[in-house]
Amino acid sequence: MPPKRMTANRDRSHRYFPGKVEYAQDALSSDSENSDAEVSSAHQPAKPSLPKATSFPKDARLAANLSKINLDARRAQAAAQEAERLKREAEARAKEEEGFVTDDDNDEDDGSRREQESGSEEEEQEESTSSEDDVPKRRMPAPKFISKTNRKQHSVPVFNEEELAAQEDARRKERADEMLQLQLEKQAAAKAAGKKDWDDDEEGLADEVDDTDDVDPEEERALWKKRELLRIKRDRDAIESAEKEREEIERRRNLSKEEREAEDREYIDTQKEEHEGKGKMGHMQKYFHRGAYTFDADDETKQLLNRDIMGSRFQDDARDKSMLPSALQIRDMTKIGKKGRTRYRDMKSEDTGRWGDLGVRDRRKDGDHRLDERFLSDGDAERPGGTGANAYAVGERRKRVDDSRDGRRDDKRPKYGR
Amino acid sequence: MAHAADAKKALDSRGYTGSLIRGDNPLKLFEKPVRDRIIESYYWKEQCFGLNAATLLDRAIELTFIGGTYGVSQRPTPFLCLVFKMLQLTPDKEVILFYLQQEEFKYLRALAAFYIRLAWEKDAEVYETLEPYLADSRKLRRRTREGWTLTHVDEFVDDLLIKGRICATTLPKLNPRVMLEDEDKLEPRISALGEELEELDADDDGSDGEVVEVANGQANGIGQAEEDGENDAEMVAD
Repeated sequence: MPPKRMTANRDRSHRYFPGKVEYAQDALSSDSENSDAEVSSAHQPAKPSLPKATSFPKDARLAANLSKINLDARRAQAAAQEAERLKREAEARAKEEEGFVTDDDNDEDDGSRREQESGSEEEEQEESTSSEDDVPKRRMPAPKFISKTNRKQHSVPVFNEEELAAQEDARRKERADEMLQLQLEKQAAAKAAGKKDWDDDEEGLADEVDDTDDVDPEEERALWKKRELLRIKRDRDAIESAEKEREEIERRRNLSKEEREAEDREYIDTQKEEHEGKGKMGHMQKYFHRGAYTFDADDETKQLLNRDIMGSRFQDDARDKSMLPSALQIRDMTKIGKKGRTRYRDMKSEDTGRWGDLGVRDRRKDGDHRLDERFLSDGDAERPGGTGANAYAVGERRKRVDDSRDGRRDDKRPKYGR
Repeated sequence: MAHAADAKKALDSRGYTGSLIRGDNPLKLFEKPVRDRIIESYYWKEQCFGLNAATLLDRAIELTFIGGTYGVSQRPTPFLCLVFKMLQLTPDKEVILFYLQQEEFKYLRALAAFYIRLAWEKDAEVYETLEPYLADSRKLRRRTREGWTLTHVDEFVDDLLIKGRICATTLPKLNPRVMLEDEDKLEPRISALGEELEELDADDDGSDGEVVEVANGQANGIGQAEEDGENDAEMVAD
């Protein structure tokens, strides 16, 4: 049994790590020279011994043979060995404790006590293989002095703790070898069954789909016929629709112009009706575009995409936005309070032009303080006579002096009198 | 040609001197991501090294399913790897036709059909070669991205002729059959149903709207012209 360690942690040295070197305690202790012959036989070599099973089946047929191996015999053998060993140990312990007197069992028969103790030894030993840290709960037998002569009579090998450990390890190695052998056999069997190395998926799922033919010839033929007919139908439908389009084009060409327009008007009217059937946008209602990525969806999705939300109201939507303060009268209420919001409301309120009230311009704005004629626009000052320099008719000419009376003939320059 | 263990050099399009398909390296028919997956897969590395047409046949016989890429990591199927190998080898037409005509191995047939659709450049030839196999109704196992489905040889061939993308590859452009018929390069398709189809047509037309006087025991449509396939405009006028 491995020595007690100073820490309280569970001792994990019973676990098998492949390739890990395990040192027997004898090698470390200073009494290695004094160790008994029995112990040295169980002395662990410094290097781990080679595994008993080879990795490569030497013969291809061996793979097949391996699958025939029955391990039960081997297991039975191992179990028998184990039992034998335990029995030997029990006997040895019994002999060792021969004559030891424990406190409680003074009056009991030696034999029964021996049995009890050996039985409890076995149990405790089994337990202790899993948790060897625990102090063995068995009562420490009181040491009895054995004289020199009696000592030498020990012919039964006494298994002390180190030997037990060695045997444990040997057993573990055996088990590991067995497992390895099993794995190799499984691999060989899989290879024999044709499983590929490169295909490590679960091929078992492929069996859901069965591709054996002629399971039911008539049904298969019927299915094939159906498929073939569908293909033919598809081809014919394509031809038909192409034909129909051509016909339609021809027909329209042959109609006269008025008839064409009549048909177009009909079409537009039907379109308008459809549009009217839809709701109207509320005042300042947010327009939710359905998105550019529409794809071929099933009917339900198409209905969802085509639903008409114009004029409908959603939660917290103010029906009459004119009651709100002007800061809140925007289309998209989510933008309130956020940075970068434009103050744009709608086109009408932002427009600076004047639409439709041109009739006001005909009347004079201010009759009293008329602008001078020169600064009136042409429309205002249109007169029958003319504009600009022609605005006034030529008035009477101022009288010249020489016209009106005699005199002053000697003046060269004609003078205008009053 | 020396077979390098890592055939990346052969996939390098610079300095390619082999036969061209549609003016380019045949391997370019597969997209770059798919090409990368194929080259890195175990099947390609183990099984597709140093194949020729004969050994490829051995591999193709062992196929058990068709498909493109599957799984989260886009693993290629052996089917796809073998098609890739065929594109690398570019076998002769006779070899491909031999593969296609093998009755016993349906996956080999599917392989050859896929190759034909990818590699042959004359549309009329493709149609003529593949259409007879619309009569082959054997089952095929198909591996999709998420799982397994059942399909048939004729469905697969139909997909090859109609669809644009199959088995993780975009198929090269193929003119529609109607266009080829209009150009008189092809005859209208004669379905494998043949006579049964004519009978069905006759029945349909006879019961269509018009009142037809039928003598006792005669159910055939009266006054129908003999039809050869589905391209009859008179049928449409009914």
